[in-house]
Amino acid sequence: MDILQILLNGIVLGSLYACIAIGFSLVWGVLNIINMLHGSFIILGGYLTFFAWQYSGMNPVVILPIIAIILFGLGYGLQYFFINKVVMAPVLTTLTLTFGLDMILYNLMTVLFTATPRRVTLDLGTLSVGDLYLPIDRLLGMGLALLLTAILFLVMRASKIGRAIVAVRMDRQAATLMGIRVNHVYAITFGIGALMAGAAGAIFSMVFPITTNLTGTFLGKAFVICVIGGLGSVPGALIGGIALGMIESIAGYTIGPQNATTVGFVLMLILLVVRPTGIAGVKGYE
Amino acid sequence: MKQLLCFGAFALWVAMIAATPLLADNYTIRIAISVSMFSVMAVSWNFIGGFTGYPSFSTAAFFGIGCYAGAIAQRNGVPLVLAWMFATILVAVFAALLGAIILRLKGHYFAIGSIAIVELTRLITSSWGSLTGGGDGLNVPLLQGNPQEVAGLVLYVMLGILVLAFVTSVYVDRSRLGFGLKCISQNEDAANMVGVNTTAFKIVAYTLSAVFCGAVGAVYASWVGYIDPTDSFSILLTLKVPVMVLLGGAGTLLGPILGTGVFILLEEIFWANFLEWNRAILGGIIVFLIFFLPNGLLKIQYLQLYAAVSRKLSIGSSKSGAGS
Amino acid sequence: MNMTLKNGLKVAGLTFGLAMASAVTPAVAADDVLVIGAPLALTGGLADEGKKQQDVWKLWLDKINAAGGIDVDGKKMQVKFVEYDYQTDGKRAGQLAEKLITDDNVDVLMAPFGSGHTKIIAAVAERYQVPMLACVASSTSVYDQGFKYLFGTLAPNTGMTESMVEFFKAQKPDLKTVAIYGRDDVFPKSMASALAASAESGGLDVVYNELYAVGTMDHSAAVSAIKSANPDWVYMTGYTQDLILGRKQLSDMGVTSPIITMVTGPAYREFTEGLGELADGVTSSTWWHHSTAYTDAVGPWSTTASFYADFTAAYKSDPDYVHASCAAAADVLVSAVQAAGSKDKQAVRDALAATDILTFYGPIDFGDNGMNQGREMPIIQVQGDAIKVLYPESIKNADLKMID
Repeated sequence: MDILQILLNGIVLGSLYACIAIGFSLVWGVLNIINMLHGSFIILGGYLTFFAWQYSGMNPVVILPIIAIILFGLGYGLQYFFINKVVMAPVLTTLTLTFGLDMILYNLMTVLFTATPRRVTLDLGTLSVGDLYLPIDRLLGMGLALLLTAILFLVMRASKIGRAIVAVRMDRQAATLMGIRVNHVYAITFGIGALMAGAAGAIFSMVFPITTNLTGTFLGKAFVICVIGGLGSVPGALIGGIALGMIESIAGYTIGPQNATTVGFVLMLILLVVRPTGIAGVKGYE
Repeated sequence: MKQLLCFGAFALWVAMIAATPLLADNYTIRIAISVSMFSVMAVSWNFIGGFTGYPSFSTAAFFGIGCYAGAIAQRNGVPLVLAWMFATILVAVFAALLGAIILRLKGHYFAIGSIAIVELTRLITSSWGSLTGGGDGLNVPLLQGNPQEVAGLVLYVMLGILVLAFVTSVYVDRSRLGFGLKCISQNEDAANMVGVNTTAFKIVAYTLSAVFCGAVGAVYASWVGYIDPTDSFSILLTLKVPVMVLLGGAGTLLGPILGTGVFILLEEIFWANFLEWNRAILGGIIVFLIFFLPNGLLKIQYLQLYAAVSRKLSIGSSKSGAGS
Repeated sequence: MNMTLKNGLKVAGLTFGLAMASAVTPAVAADDVLVIGAPLALTGGLADEGKKQQDVWKLWLDKINAAGGIDVDGKKMQVKFVEYDYQTDGKRAGQLAEKLITDDNVDVLMAPFGSGHTKIIAAVAERYQVPMLACVASSTSVYDQGFKYLFGTLAPNTGMTESMVEFFKAQKPDLKTVAIYGRDDVFPKSMASALAASAESGGLDVVYNELYAVGTMDHSAAVSAIKSANPDWVYMTGYTQDLILGRKQLSDMGVTSPIITMVTGPAYREFTEGLGELADGVTSSTWWHHSTAYTDAVGPWSTTASFYADFTAAYKSDPDYVHASCAAAADVLVSAVQAAGSKDKQAVRDALAATDILTFYGPIDFGDNGMNQGREMPIIQVQGDAIKVLYPESIKNADLKMID
């Protein structure tokens, strides 16, 4: 029975992980930017959800879309006014810029919110079937994560802006010639990345304690998941997230929790070298 | 002529740092040690990040392994200087082996891979408790002597390493190796075609970017007397060093040293005066750097800048004159 | 942003002004002002803890200033704190300690939160022979290096775990098995291994004993393993965010152990606030609790109750052991300066070594290694909205409740 529980843990955790990585993967894939702000975006979403919940008492699921829109605006603005200026520069420049912006955002959050861990204490209880336990808030989080992923997938596939994003990603110059406002599309893409991070933060505020100390951890997970799943595709991030969730769950049980995180990073490095397209095999941007 | 100017400036700078124990208090000496230590790491990073154009973020891994190798050797009775040398060699071997694997990656993948190395070495150090003390960290035998003597010793060792690193970078810059690295930076495929052994060159550059970091790591460990995984393998450090080089001018000889000096000076001013906002201010400096000094302080056309500023000023004053 | 810039400039101006003042009048500053240097983690991973130290010292200093300073050798002496943010970065902590000693000429150092950074600063203080008080470092490894200028107000970890095993065995005679799960970091790790040793020597069966790495986001795997081991007692150590998540996951995954101990979880208000109802029943050990009642203590607060009253009035929340220990460290320092009759570093150091006093936080008597001698440390439990003290007998106000 244990093994079933471990696999179940892995899938649930994995879908939450996927939620961390999707926005990051999109920004990397389309804008070719390693967004060091991503971890802080998630925490910002989490904190805003917590405070909105604390003051209004509304369910985080209701708050989520509002938070997501706020983060979209923030992301759009940052890209439009700052990052667009260097979007064609080498990775060193863009990474350093987002790192600098992250230091500012991080500092703002520690001063405004302090580093105290916060949590939306809904505590919806647990579903249990035989010996198997499934916490309802995680199940809810998983459902929301999958729903958001599906929506994003559809947007990218079917909507006008989605097609524009894909067009810009494939050939920036051709897209410009077709009359696409590339700067606007970039800003929207970055905005969607921030939106997904904010939504992830809102979901996490129900499951994990939110504290600024976790920004680096989230960012690290996003790295690993993107590499495992392959870059720039929505399904890739989902596969990568679930794979990492499973790996950590199994490793934590068999070789001990101390080494579970290490296994993820080792696998990431091996994959980077052996198969940079990730296990899903989706062709990356470069 | 320009070369002479460059060496002259470096020699003057080293002389100034070397003079601090005679002139200033111990805190200034400590800053001088910090400046030398970070300068070594910046000059090192320049081999791979500046000359070769590979966005490497593994500096903290080399520094951390240097810390731990030196500390563990010393705790096992290896004399001080031998322990430092052991750490240096170990880091060089580690970097060469690692380089052979991860230098196949390019651009974003290389950047991510090199950051992951820092996190991975931290995690391994942390879980290998029997050797490294794990999360408890390690006590390193303290250097004997009064504060002035110890600080002076550490400073001169760090400065010695800095001079070595700088001389190496001058040599590389002039040699065939340096030429090859710059070719790789411009266009790796073309470099390969004209007969540059890109794989070997890159590995050499990566190893050079590690070896001196390992040395300062070991010296640092002996100096502070206590190391732990989070401080030794710090992501902040690994990101700060490239920023220092960018600030001065990547790919130049003096840039890393100038950038480190200015960066640490700014840090000193800000954290002392802005208790709660120092991190945001440093972030602001980085953003400013990317937008307004993309090529670093060394590559500014100072004469043109002066002309542009004075033009702006005169326009501004004539405008305000018209308004009033 | 504008506002902050203005504030920043004000701070800058103030700092500059102070620096000028001290530069112009060094002789005056030297004799009748006791300067205490404190590197604090105001940003970064330990920002919350750093803030606590800053808060309680402000409260303490206000109290001292209201009395016009401290009496030393028949004269009034002023007290001043010089604080810097070391950003939870060990390299910077050492650097700041040196700055405080050489630039700001502090007479004594207060260590920041945590055993690791205390070690770094202790090495600097030792080199300069400046007395240093560590108020939040309890791992014996900090004190076993033969440092002569280092004094710690917390008592060793080991005393805590032994009395806890004995206490639980007495309360629950059929207690047989314990699962231990600790964070791989200086203090949490040492508590976990101390408990493992105490449990084994106390005849308990340790059915699970693992550490988790710093940066672990989720505990499902460990909790599942603990569940299948089905222990009578779960003992978890870590930082508040780890423990909140750990407690929630224990409940979510249906672990039904009657005793759950989290160190130092319930000692912090953030823990109970972050958990809500789930906190109910969690036990912990701590160095101090505000329901202890010492009277006739030295320092600005002669009773524990008066400290509690002042603190809650100022900060609208309960003080925890960090607050108390740090304020007590300041009391100890003052009493040592008074005993020495001056702020001469060597004399203060000797007076500290000879200290044997009672503060509102409890008795302080440094052992040979500079650590406060072991005494009976409280075992506490969250019961409903309140934190109750179960042990020692002298201050207990509730009985152990099992979690059902």
